[in-house]
Amino acid sequence: MLHIHDLDVFYGHIHALHQVSLQVNESEAVAVLGANGAGKSTLIKSIMGWEKPSSGQILFQNEPLDRLPAWERVKRGLALVPEGGRLFGDISVADNLRLGAYLQPEAVIRSQMDMVYELFPVLAERQKQIAKTLSGGEQQMLAIARALMACPRLLLIDEVSMGLMPILVKRVFSVIGELRQQGMSILLVEQNAYESLKVVDRAYVLENGHIVLEGTPDELRQNPRVRAAYLGG
Amino acid sequence: MPFLQNLSNALVLASTYVLMAAGLTMVYGVLKVLHIAHAAVYTIGAFIGLLVFSWLGNFWLALLVAMIGSGIVGVIIYRTTYYYMLDAPRIVPLITSIGLFVMLTDLLQKGFLMGPYQRAFPAGGAGMPRIRTSFISITPKQMLVLVVTIVLMTLVYLLLTRTRIGLGWQAASMDRDMAAAVGVNLNRVVALNFFLGSALAGAGGVLVGVYNNSVFATMGDLVSYKAFIIIVLGGMGSLPGVIVASVLLAIVENFMVAWVGYVLPRDAIAFLVLILMLMFRPHGLLGKE
Repeated sequence: MLHIHDLDVFYGHIHALHQVSLQVNESEAVAVLGANGAGKSTLIKSIMGWEKPSSGQILFQNEPLDRLPAWERVKRGLALVPEGGRLFGDISVADNLRLGAYLQPEAVIRSQMDMVYELFPVLAERQKQIAKTLSGGEQQMLAIARALMACPRLLLIDEVSMGLMPILVKRVFSVIGELRQQGMSILLVEQNAYESLKVVDRAYVLENGHIVLEGTPDELRQNPRVRAAYLGG
Repeated sequence: MPFLQNLSNALVLASTYVLMAAGLTMVYGVLKVLHIAHAAVYTIGAFIGLLVFSWLGNFWLALLVAMIGSGIVGVIIYRTTYYYMLDAPRIVPLITSIGLFVMLTDLLQKGFLMGPYQRAFPAGGAGMPRIRTSFISITPKQMLVLVVTIVLMTLVYLLLTRTRIGLGWQAASMDRDMAAAVGVNLNRVVALNFFLGSALAGAGGVLVGVYNNSVFATMGDLVSYKAFIIIVLGGMGSLPGVIVASVLLAIVENFMVAWVGYVLPRDAIAFLVLILMLMFRPHGLLGKE
């Protein structure tokens, strides 16, 4: 469903992604693991349309995305949980959710809202609250819920565990696991290899802008390099 | 009597400030561009209004056409200039905007447009009633300014808070990239933003033209400086802030003159307020740090 071929991205003179190729199949959850500065966020931003690759191709359901602005990509079924949540801070939880479903008809908005409130009951309690007054964990839930409102075909998740307490990290990953069970296609980029490998079908390892490894969670857990670098030996 | 009378005079002045500054703050909110050429749109609005009025003699039609016309001018300004500068350093659109303002004002002064004279805009109060009690007297012209401003600002408020595109507009003014990533078509939202803001400025131009019974090519100059004070006071990009700041500035100007006398010219008072504000509350009254 998502095919990336030989993607190169530059930030000024910094070569952030080198010839990156990867794919996500229908109903598959895929992780891209890597340390800080490996190029994970750049990858997600390029898929969403926030960064312009200098070469390479991104195909979504066999259609090249290169020339499309972000909102056209949303129309085709992408949704993003960005790093840090990036909620619309000055408006209510419900309005943030409504914005998540900006391109959906009113009936879908209502049914999706029921769905995300069931998934995150705490958001239902806080519907009217201004988004920036939520706790860190609640904000992260809302960021996920907002992306789900769009009924995405492919959910992009950027560093969802960053800055969360361990218990919340577990909670967030269990939600991602549930979504995968329901058959949603997911691409998540993460530093937390341990939790990520529990919920995905396949993973790539990104180092200094290069994909250096690819495999199933079991294969990667066996790999000495992964064990040393990402799983604490 | 002087207190209420000064207050009503202040509110009339505040109305014209609101109409001018609302568009500026909207453009700043979404694009982070200081749209100086907005003042020229205000003058163009007054000019279109006057043309239609002298042709058809109907104030309301003149107001409507002026608003649509200035709205379109605003969108054209955006699509031909700022649109190409969204990722450029802020100084680029700023200088472009100054250039545009000078160019448009000069153009308006040419003989085939407004020429270098003042023209009368004799629409009177457009049928508004006069209110006169022992406390207060409001002329039909003042009524007209107040009523039109309140109606227009209410409509804009409803559009921005009760409709989907309004919600998209709010999102874009908080985080443009994220708004795009939930599906908000930024081109459409920004065009709407320019259309609404410019239409409001055009209405402001028409109302001030009628109120002073005078329209001229440089009528936008002073009001644009005032509008900058207002959007800074109000906290850049905040629409409620603009309303509060407009009322405040108009009250200060009026009451200083009425109670203290002309210690300073009233426009100097306005800038004194700006300087004090920047010293003590640089993010504005309702703005965020």
